[in-house]
Amino acid sequence: MSAAHDLVVVGAGPAGAAAALAAADAGLDVLVVDEQRAAGGQILRTTPPEFGGRRKLPTGYPWAGELLDRARSHPGIAWRHGATVFGILPVTADASSAGGADASAGPGSADGADASAGPASAGFDVLTSDPADPAGSGRVRARRVLIASGAYDMPVAIPGWTLPGVMMAGAVQGFLKSQRLRVADRVVLAGSHPLLLIVADQLLAAGARIEEVAIARGIPSPVELLRALPAVPGHVRLLGELAGCVLRLLRAGVRISTGTVPTEVLGDGRVQGVRLARADRGWRQTGPARTVEADALVLGYGFHPSTELARQLGCALDWDSAQGGWIVRHDAQLETTVPGVHVAGEPSGVAGAEQSRAEGELAGLTIAAALGRPVPERALAGARRRIRSASRFSGVVQRMFAPRREALLELATPATEICRCETVTRSTIDGFLDENPFAGTADAVKLACRSGMGPCQGRYCESAVAGLVAKARGTGVGEAGRFAAHIPVKPVPLQAYVALADDPAEVP
Amino acid sequence: MPDAEATSGRAARLPSERGEPAEITVDGRPVGCFAGETVATAMLAAGVPAFSHRNGEPRIPLCNMGTCFECGVTVDGVPLTRACLTTVRDGMRVETSER
Ligand SMILES: Cc1cc2nc3c(=O)[nH]c(=O)nc-3n(C[C@H](O)[C@H](O)[C@H](O)COP(=O)(O)OP(=O)(O)OC[C@H]3O[C@@H](n4cnc5c(N)ncnc54)[C@H](O)[C@@H]3O)c2cc1C
Ligand code: FES
Repeated sequence: MSAAHDLVVVGAGPAGAAAALAAADAGLDVLVVDEQRAAGGQILRTTPPEFGGRRKLPTGYPWAGELLDRARSHPGIAWRHGATVFGILPVTADASSAGGADASAGPGSADGADASAGPASAGFDVLTSDPADPAGSGRVRARRVLIASGAYDMPVAIPGWTLPGVMMAGAVQGFLKSQRLRVADRVVLAGSHPLLLIVADQLLAAGARIEEVAIARGIPSPVELLRALPAVPGHVRLLGELAGCVLRLLRAGVRISTGTVPTEVLGDGRVQGVRLARADRGWRQTGPARTVEADALVLGYGFHPSTELARQLGCALDWDSAQGGWIVRHDAQLETTVPGVHVAGEPSGVAGAEQSRAEGELAGLTIAAALGRPVPERALAGARRRIRSASRFSGVVQRMFAPRREALLELATPATEICRCETVTRSTIDGFLDENPFAGTADAVKLACRSGMGPCQGRYCESAVAGLVAKARGTGVGEAGRFAAHIPVKPVPLQAYVALADDPAEVP
Repeated sequence: MPDAEATSGRAARLPSERGEPAEITVDGRPVGCFAGETVATAMLAAGVPAFSHRNGEPRIPLCNMGTCFECGVTVDGVPLTRACLTTVRDGMRVETSER
């Protein structure tokens, strides 16, 4: 199966859906690929159609229903759901029978659409794999690609975190929202991100016993709250929702401990208890730990952007801890340092659904303009305004809830598994760093210790590995670097490669 | 309607409309479930103690969004298939993985 699209969007969350819609409205032929079964990304997950009943989208995002409905029914947008993009290959100019794919200089180009002034790319081959449907595997030709791959819950390595029953906040919420499944009876939640309180409230409503909510930070100080005020207009509903969660939890008698961190997960074959301890303002353990019995520990310290495709393509990334770690560098048009590759939503910096959607809209418009479609200046200005407005709020959230990474790293003892896949402990990594004083990068540790070489491909250990390197060398995590990503950016079955060979990807 | 009460500690389906009853096998044992559920939901609700193993350690879903691969199982012969992204189909054969 071969096809050529003006734009292939990876990810059907608020960013990808908004981008696809804006681009298709401007006349582009768009394909959206997402591993999930349905559009909506993480935040707009709903029960599957087989469950019947009405679609229930989260409150607080009044635009969500219309965005998804319009995008799904748009004749200019094709969808490939349940398929993983496992790599993207730039097409060299002579390999392309389509000729120069770009019309960056064409009339109607928006301000600065010459961001891709470099060698005009002849497009990209997007490699997809769908284990359940051979038609979803193969390569798709695109003139431009948009990486709207979202974010995943930030991993925090603590002793025992590999025990069955330790789950990320996003996982627990996903099971509740889209599967109507309560993952456990007695639950401890630990973290620092506001999502943790929302999940605790939802678990409570689902009949779970919330044994304790352990928040790493203290209660926001008056100064912090004052600083937050200018960001509030337009987001009152979101803050109100959060306040409602806290109220319901307290009313139900749930213990919410501030300045508290988890120091160990106990259990034999599954979670049976969690050790919690007091922490200072810098999140460092101060007092002795106490045991709380539970069947599950839910972790919610924030999010890391999903940047594997940007890495594999060679896009420049920058380290920004408050924005989620490694984020994809981009210009005002949301084009990355690789011409023709754009980014929107969490990979440009974790900023929440509102900003993801606004960035998606801008990316869709600027890509359409770069491909020579007329795009009204008014539409671009509107998208930019929405990004600015959303970023005032997300900036406050980022500052207020920024993870204290050094302190979290110290929760890992020598025996704690840093790399879950290859079961590499902290002592193995520290030992290697001790014996090899010239090893100064995360990738060096990966090669020597195998941390980052398993099926998750480093998504769950990179930040801790880089943190250990930074600590040993007295540098920052940004200097310790990151793991490189190669095709496949996620493991795919052999059949996916067979599909590639079958498919010479002729451009019609 | 499936029973919302489950053995202590275990995951439980909430009272909710679901799809038609279906059955998959996990390591040869029948596991009842409902159309529209993911393999991860079916296995958690059935109390399967390990989806995969790492160096002998049992693992169950961590992320439920396709990034961690702890839920990797063999589905109808295809290894390392993410249970959290796979919808059940009547008669589906699932094998948990040793590693
Ligand atoms: C459980 C959860 C709850 C959240 N709650 C809130 C909240 O209440 N408020 C808020 O503002 N933010 C919340 N967030 C943050 C959330 O990330 C964003 O708000 C929003 O979902 C971001 O939209 P997005 O389009 O950038 O990314 P996402 O919504 O994450 O969408 C990205 C999509 O890309 C797909 N994808 C990624 N890689 C690939 C690939 N290689 N191949 C194919 N598909 C791929 C994913 O399947 C996903 O559907 C939450 C996040 C999670 C995980
Ligand atoms: S639970 Fe993480 S990939 Fe399925």
